[in-house]
Amino acid sequence: MLPVRPPAETDFSSRLRSAAVTARVGLWLGICFGICFATGLLSHYAQNADHPIPFPTGPVWGYRLTQGLHVVTGTAAVPLLLVKLWTVYPRLFRRPEREVRRLVLDGLERASIAALVASAIFQLATGLANSAQWYPWDFSFRATHYAIAWVAIGSLLVHIAVKLPVIRRALTSDVESTVDDRPTATMPGALSRRGLLRTTWAAAGVAALAVAGGAVPFLRQVSVFAVRSGDGPQGVPINKSAAAAHISDEMVGPAYRLEVAYGDRTVALTREDLRAMQQRTESLPIACVEGWSAGAEWTGVRVRDLLDLVGAPGGRDVDVYSLQPSGPYRHTILQGNFADDDRTLVALTLHGEPLSRDHGEPARLIAPNRPGVLQTKWLARLEVSA
Amino acid sequence: MTPVRAVLGTFGVLAAAYGVWLWLSRGHDRWDVVLWLAGGVVLHDAVLSAVVIVLGLLLVRVLPKAAQAPAAVGCVVLGSVTLLAVPVLGGFGARADNATLLDRNYSAGWLVLAGITIVAVIAASLVRSRRR
Repeated sequence: MLPVRPPAETDFSSRLRSAAVTARVGLWLGICFGICFATGLLSHYAQNADHPIPFPTGPVWGYRLTQGLHVVTGTAAVPLLLVKLWTVYPRLFRRPEREVRRLVLDGLERASIAALVASAIFQLATGLANSAQWYPWDFSFRATHYAIAWVAIGSLLVHIAVKLPVIRRALTSDVESTVDDRPTATMPGALSRRGLLRTTWAAAGVAALAVAGGAVPFLRQVSVFAVRSGDGPQGVPINKSAAAAHISDEMVGPAYRLEVAYGDRTVALTREDLRAMQQRTESLPIACVEGWSAGAEWTGVRVRDLLDLVGAPGGRDVDVYSLQPSGPYRHTILQGNFADDDRTLVALTLHGEPLSRDHGEPARLIAPNRPGVLQTKWLARLEVSA
Repeated sequence: MTPVRAVLGTFGVLAAAYGVWLWLSRGHDRWDVVLWLAGGVVLHDAVLSAVVIVLGLLLVRVLPKAAQAPAAVGCVVLGSVTLLAVPVLGGFGARADNATLLDRNYSAGWLVLAGITIVAVIAASLVRSRRR
């Protein structure tokens, strides 16, 4: 018979629910969260309009690598978190302390654990949903995922500070050690402790492989849960279609002009004008926050050559406008160091063919080491303030 | 309290407080965030944990001894990977105007993964039962 009363800590008898297991899984979970936090901060900064410290334009694969890592380590963290929580689950039902000082300290620790568990689950759940472009909530994903990331990493540091003596003991002694075990955790399970650890590493590995193909081309065949197969028009996936951005035939028809402006000097260029300028070819990846990326070869006009047409000085930020009538990326900032980089193009072709409508026909921005959402499609205007 | 723990704890409290401030000052739909924060904990602590406990009991009572460890391994791997694949398996984010998004056959992928796991569990169980 199962007890009808709420469970007590002593009801849990498996010797697998041990600090020796928790600390080992926790170490790798902490590493994954650390990588997610660092790569997430980097992406958040790259997407800001203001860069007090210039974001580097190289290496060209920098953003692709860091955001691929962000999604792969976040995905691998799911099995790690589930197993870690399983090993400490009995602690949820521990008896309240009798003495006031201990009761307060225990309450504070419980609060920090609640913040950690809630924010950790929140980050993994919202991150996974976002990578599949599924938004079953009303809040802004970017602002909230960023804010809760600080709560997660902060409560993780507090947790490590509280548990440091136990973590040290557990990691420096054998995995079979029972020093920090609950007195009732003595029953052997179906698996040994080493077996459970190996199973956890295997689950994390399978999870990572199942999504890594979104960023690592040679893993595409095995990544059964990647949000992109890597295929798309002209061999490159797209994030936002022309239809979703409300781009009409008229906007990109014969009346199309790319305006380049500096102060009161403006030039308006037709497609033919752009094609008549010196063409450059660059290999630059398109890399998205959702962790998918694809290498591609772009040909078009250097942004710097266009800015020189109106005499815009170097080092200045450029206001970039898209033809799309609305949306947060209709107007973005191309920072001065990106605008001046020789590899930054107004691309007209992708893999040798004119850009398809969904890739930003007739012209799009492509710069090295930059978030995909800022690689503006359907370019309308480049403007440097006087 | 060693200096290391004090420093870690202080930085932790400051970082978490900064996160809360960011959320309260710039976020929208704060109650929706609270719902998701609390919802994750409730789903894990009350639902998923209970399901895992019942599965564990079933595993020990129903399966022969030789199959218990392989089945436990299979459940952990397949269960956790299935859970993280819910957004793609459901295809909730799919859009008619973008054929490059969620463009794999995820059900087939899951069936292959489940098939490999089940075959591996059965093979390991047979090997273990012969060894006894």
